[in-house]
Amino acid sequence: MDKKTVNKRIKFYDDLEVMEVDFSDLTFTVNKHVDEFYDEVDRLLASSDRQWYFLVNYTNCKIKPEIWNHFAARGKQSNTSHGLGSVRIGTTAEIRETIREYSRKENFRANLYESRDEAFSALNTMRRRRKTSGSEGIEPYLSVKNIHLSFGGIRAIGGVGFEVHQGDIFSIIGPNGAGKTSMINVISGFYRPSEGQIIFNGIDRTHYHPADVAKLGFARTFQNIALFKGMTTLDNIMTGRLIKMKSNFFLEALYFGPARRQEMENREYVEKIIDFLEIQSIRKTPVGRLPYGFQKRVELARALAMEPKVLLLDEPMAGMNLEEKEDMARFILDVSEEWGTTIMLIEHDMGVVMDLSTMVVVMDHGEKIAEGTPDDVRKDPVVIRAYLGEG
Amino acid sequence: MFDLLFFLETLIGGLLSGVMYSLVALGFVLIFKASGVFNFAQGAMVLFAALTFVLMLELGGEFWDWTGWLALLFAAASGVLILLNRYTDYFKPQIISKRTALLFSLLTALVLVLFFDGGRNMWRAAFISLIIFLVLTVGVRKPKWAAAVLLGVAVTSFFAGGINFWRSLVLTLVVMVMLAMAIERVVLRHLVNQEPILLFMATIGLNFVLEGIAQGVWDSDVHGLDIGIEDMPFDVYGVFISKFDIFAAISAGLLVLGIGVFFTKTRVGRALRAVADDHQAAMAVGISLNDIWAIVWSASGIVALFAGLLWGSKLGVQFSLVLLAFKALPVLILGGFTSVPGAIIGGLIVGATEKVFEVFIGIEYLGGGTESWSPYMLAMIFLLFRPQGLFGEKIIERV
Amino acid sequence: MIYRETGQFKTTYPDDQAIFPIPQDRWFLGAGLLLALVVVPLTANQYWLGPIFTQFLVFSLAAVGLNILTGYAGQVSLGTGGFMAVGAYMCYNFALRVPELPLFVDFIIGGIFAALVGVVFGLPSMRIKGFYLAVATLAAQFFLLWVFDHVGWFTNYDPAGVASAPSRTLLGSWATEGGPLSFLAPINMMVSGPEATPETKYMITLVTVIVFAVLAKNMVRSSTGRAWMAIRDMDIAAEIIGINPLKTKISAFAISSFYCGVAGSLYVFTYVGNADTEAFDLARSFQILFMVIIGGLGSIMGSFLGAAFIVLLPVFLNILASTLGEGTLPSDTLANLELIIFGSFIIFFLIIEPHGFARLWQIGKEKLRKWPFPY
Repeated sequence: MDKKTVNKRIKFYDDLEVMEVDFSDLTFTVNKHVDEFYDEVDRLLASSDRQWYFLVNYTNCKIKPEIWNHFAARGKQSNTSHGLGSVRIGTTAEIRETIREYSRKENFRANLYESRDEAFSALNTMRRRRKTSGSEGIEPYLSVKNIHLSFGGIRAIGGVGFEVHQGDIFSIIGPNGAGKTSMINVISGFYRPSEGQIIFNGIDRTHYHPADVAKLGFARTFQNIALFKGMTTLDNIMTGRLIKMKSNFFLEALYFGPARRQEMENREYVEKIIDFLEIQSIRKTPVGRLPYGFQKRVELARALAMEPKVLLLDEPMAGMNLEEKEDMARFILDVSEEWGTTIMLIEHDMGVVMDLSTMVVVMDHGEKIAEGTPDDVRKDPVVIRAYLGEG
Repeated sequence: MFDLLFFLETLIGGLLSGVMYSLVALGFVLIFKASGVFNFAQGAMVLFAALTFVLMLELGGEFWDWTGWLALLFAAASGVLILLNRYTDYFKPQIISKRTALLFSLLTALVLVLFFDGGRNMWRAAFISLIIFLVLTVGVRKPKWAAAVLLGVAVTSFFAGGINFWRSLVLTLVVMVMLAMAIERVVLRHLVNQEPILLFMATIGLNFVLEGIAQGVWDSDVHGLDIGIEDMPFDVYGVFISKFDIFAAISAGLLVLGIGVFFTKTRVGRALRAVADDHQAAMAVGISLNDIWAIVWSASGIVALFAGLLWGSKLGVQFSLVLLAFKALPVLILGGFTSVPGAIIGGLIVGATEKVFEVFIGIEYLGGGTESWSPYMLAMIFLLFRPQGLFGEKIIERV
Repeated sequence: MIYRETGQFKTTYPDDQAIFPIPQDRWFLGAGLLLALVVVPLTANQYWLGPIFTQFLVFSLAAVGLNILTGYAGQVSLGTGGFMAVGAYMCYNFALRVPELPLFVDFIIGGIFAALVGVVFGLPSMRIKGFYLAVATLAAQFFLLWVFDHVGWFTNYDPAGVASAPSRTLLGSWATEGGPLSFLAPINMMVSGPEATPETKYMITLVTVIVFAVLAKNMVRSSTGRAWMAIRDMDIAAEIIGINPLKTKISAFAISSFYCGVAGSLYVFTYVGNADTEAFDLARSFQILFMVIIGGLGSIMGSFLGAAFIVLLPVFLNILASTLGEGTLPSDTLANLELIIFGSFIIFFLIIEPHGFARLWQIGKEKLRKWPFPY
C-alpha cells in the first residue's frame, strides 16, 4: 500500500480534536502492512504536535489473528504518544471479541459503537469531560471519600475512599466481613455513614435517602436476592420503571389516556431488557417459583429497567455454576458496552473479577488495603497476605 | 382543685390493675416468643379457664360421684401405658386407629353419662368423650404425656367426695394442658411455615370455637368466684389501696418470676429460647417444634388460668373476660411482643395512664369512656418515637 | 376443552395487558354481570335481595378496600369498622343537611372523609410494621367509635345514637319536580328511606360496587399497584428502586379507607337503612378481614368470593340449624354451635387452602386448561 492511499485514509477534524483512521475494506495479513499504515499515522501525528481523539473505522476490515498482537501494539504506541481516547466503529464480531479481550488485558475501555454518529457523540462527551476537569485529568464520576460506618460501636467501615470513572467496571474485593456489602449499602443510601462524603457527578449526595439515590441514577442488586416474590417476572421488572413513570391515581384507576400510554411505552422498554437478558420464557412466572440463576437475572433486569447511570452488583454470581457465571459475565460486559453504564461489582470469584474489572479496590477489616488495575492488585503483597494469611 | 391524695390513689389503683393487664399480656408474649403466633384467642382462653374452674367448683360432689371408679380406670390405663412404653418396643403409633379411638371414646362417654350422670347433659358427654378421644389419639403417639395426664386425672378425681378449690385448680390445669396439646395438634401443626397473618386469623377462628365451647359446655351466666381474699381497701397515710389488688399484683409478680426462671434456668427453657430465635436452626439441633409449641401453649394456658381466677374474682366469671385481650394489646406493643419484662412495665404504664386520663381528663372534659382508646393512642404515639418498643434493641436492617 | 388458550396469540402489548386477556373469561364475566344486573332483580324475592345480595355487595366493597391495604400493600389493618363508620356518618350528615346534593355525591364525600381519617391513622405505618401496626390501627377502631358515640352532632342528636337514613334521591333535591334541574326528574329515583324499593337499592349498590371494583382492578395492575406490591413483598428493595415508602403506604391507606367509607355509606343508605356504632365494631373489622383472607390476599376477585362465603355461611348455618334443630335444642345452644362451626370452618379452610378462594379459582382454571388430561 503506498503512502498516498494511506494518507487518504487518515483525516483530521481540527475543531473536534478528532483524527479518523479508516481501515475499512482493508486486509492485514503480515506485519509489514500494519507497519506501513501506522508509520504514516505516527508521522502525521508527530507533525501535528498535539493530542487527538482517535476514531477507528473497522468496516469490513480483516486482520489475521497472528498479527493481531503487533497491530494492537502499534495502536497502543500511537495512543500513548498522541491519544486522548479512542472509539471504534464498524467492528465485525471477530474483531470485537479480540478488542474486548485485549482491552480487558491491557485495562482500557473498548468503546465500540454502531455508527459514526454514536461515536462522535461519545467523543464529544469525552471531550467535555476532559474540558471540565482540572489538571488532574478526567474528573471522577463517583467519588467516595473517607467513609466511616459503625453499628452500635462495632466498626464496619473505617475511612475508605475511592474514585470511580464513567464507564468503569469497578470491583471491590476482600475476605468475608471486610465491609464490602456495607460499602454498597452506604452508596445506595441504605446506611448513613457517620463520616465521609459521596459525590456523584458533582452532587454531594451523602445524606440522600435510598429512593432519592435511585432517582439520581443508581440501581443495585442484592447479595441475597431481594425480588418481589408475590409478583411475576414482568411485574418485577416493571417496578424498575416506576421512577420513570408519573403516577396518577385517577387516570390509572380509569386506565385511560396518558396512564395507559405510559404503561404500554414502559412495557416496550421492559421487553427490550427481557430480550437482552434472554428471559422471555419466564415473563409471566411468579418469581418465587424461578430457579436461583433466573432470579439473579431478573434482579439484574429490574435494576437495568431503572436506566441506571451506576449499577451496583452485590455478588451477582454467588452460588452459580460455571455456565451461569459465564452468562452473567457476558451480560455485565454487554451492559457496560451497550449502555456505557458504570458498574460497581462485589464478587468472590477472583477469575471473574480480574477478567471483568478495569479497576479493583481491596478491602479488609473495614479498610482499603490496595487499589489499582487487576494486574497491580494481583501482585500486591498486602493483598496476597490478606487472602492467604501471614507467613 | 388538684387533690394530690386522690391523684395518688388513682395512680396506684391504675398501676395495680396494670399488673393484671400484664398477666393477660404475658400469655400473648409466651406464645409469640416461641412460635411467632399472635394468639388472638388468649382472651377466650382466659374465659375458658375461669369458666372451667368455676363450674368444676360449682358442680362439686354431684358430678364426681362416679369418679372413684373412673380414677381407678384412668390410673390403670396410665400404668399400662407406662409399662408398655418402658418394657416393650411393641408400642407403635398405629396401635389404635383414629376411628376406633373415636368410637371407643363416644361409647365410654355414653356409658358414663347414661349410668352415672342420668343422661341429663349431652354437652358433658361430648366433653368427656373429647378428652378420651384426645388421650387415645394424642396419647398413643406421646405415651409418656398421656400417662402423666391420665395420672393427673386419676389422682385428682380419686378424692371423689367433692371438689374443693385446690382439686378444681389441678383439674383445670389438666384441662388447659390438654387444650393446649389439642390446639397444637389440630391447628398449629398444619399451619407450620405459613404467613403470620394466616396464623393470626386461625387464632381468631380458634377464639370463636373456644367461646362457643366455653359457653356451650357450661353456660353464659355470670358466676361469682371467691378466692378468699376480701376486696377491702386499707389506708396508707390517707391513700386507700385495695387489698385484693395488692394480692393480685404479688401473685402476678410471682408468676412472672416463675416464668423467668423457667425460661432461663431449665433445659426446656433453653430449647424454648432456641425455637424463639430460629425455628429451622432449632429443628436442626434436634428440638421438636411440636413439643415446644405444646409446652408454650400449656404455659400460656396456665397463665390464662391465673388471669382468669384473678379477674374472675374481681369482675365475676362471664363473657366479658374475653375483652381483656383488648387491654393486653396496647401493653404488648408498648413492651414489645417478645419481652416478658416489657409486658410487666407496659402493663403498669397502660394501667396508670388509662385510669389517670379517664379520671382527670376523660370524665371532666370528654364525657367519659376514654379507657377504650387511650391506651392505644398512647401506644401509637410512643411507637412513633421508639418503633422497637420499650425493651427492643435498635433494629439494624440488613440486605 | 372449552377453556383452552392454545392458539390465542397476543400481538400487541395492550392486548396482552388487558384485564381479562382470555376471551373465555370475558364471556364468563359477561354472563355473571347479566345475571346480577338483569336476572337477579327480576326474580329474587325481598329476603334475598336485601339481606343477602345487597349485604354481600356492601361487604364486598369493604373487602376490596381492605384487600388493597392488606393484600396489595401488605399493611394489616384492624380498623376497617372505624373507617366504614366515618364514611357512614359523614355521608349521613351530608345527606341530612344538604339535601340538594345528589346521593352518589354524598357517598363519595363519605369516602373522602374516610380517606382523610385513614391517612391520619396510616401515618404510624412509616415507623411501625407488621402486628405492631395492626394493633396500632385498633386505636382508629376504638377512638372513632368513641367519637361517634360521644359527639351528638354525628347522629343528629338522636337519643338512641342511631343514624337513620333519610329519604334521598339519586340526583338530589334540585333534580325533583319544581327544582332547577327538574328535567332530570324522570331518572331521579328514590334510593334510600322507606319509599325506596329493594330493587333500586340493590341496583344502586351493584352499579357502585362494579364501578369501584373495576377502578380498583385498574389501579392494582398499573404503576400504583406495583408500588404497593413492591412495598408488601420487600420494603427495603422497594425503597432502593426509588419507591417512596411513606407515600406508597399512605396512598394505600387513603384509597383503602375511601373504599371502606363508601361501603359504610352504602351500608346505611342501601342495605340496613340506619346505623349505630355497633354496626361498625371490632367484630365487623374482623369479619371483613376474614373475607379478605379467605377470599385470597391480593386478589380483587377473591374479595368477592370471600365476602360471599362469609355472608352466606352464617345464613346457611342458620337455615341448617333451624331445619334440623328446631325444638330439640335451645336457641342459645344453637348460637354457640354456630359459633363453633364457623370458627372450625375458618381454621379448616386456612389449613387446606391458606391462599384462599383466589388460589382455588386459579387452580381450577389451570385444571380446566388441561382437561381432560391431568397434567
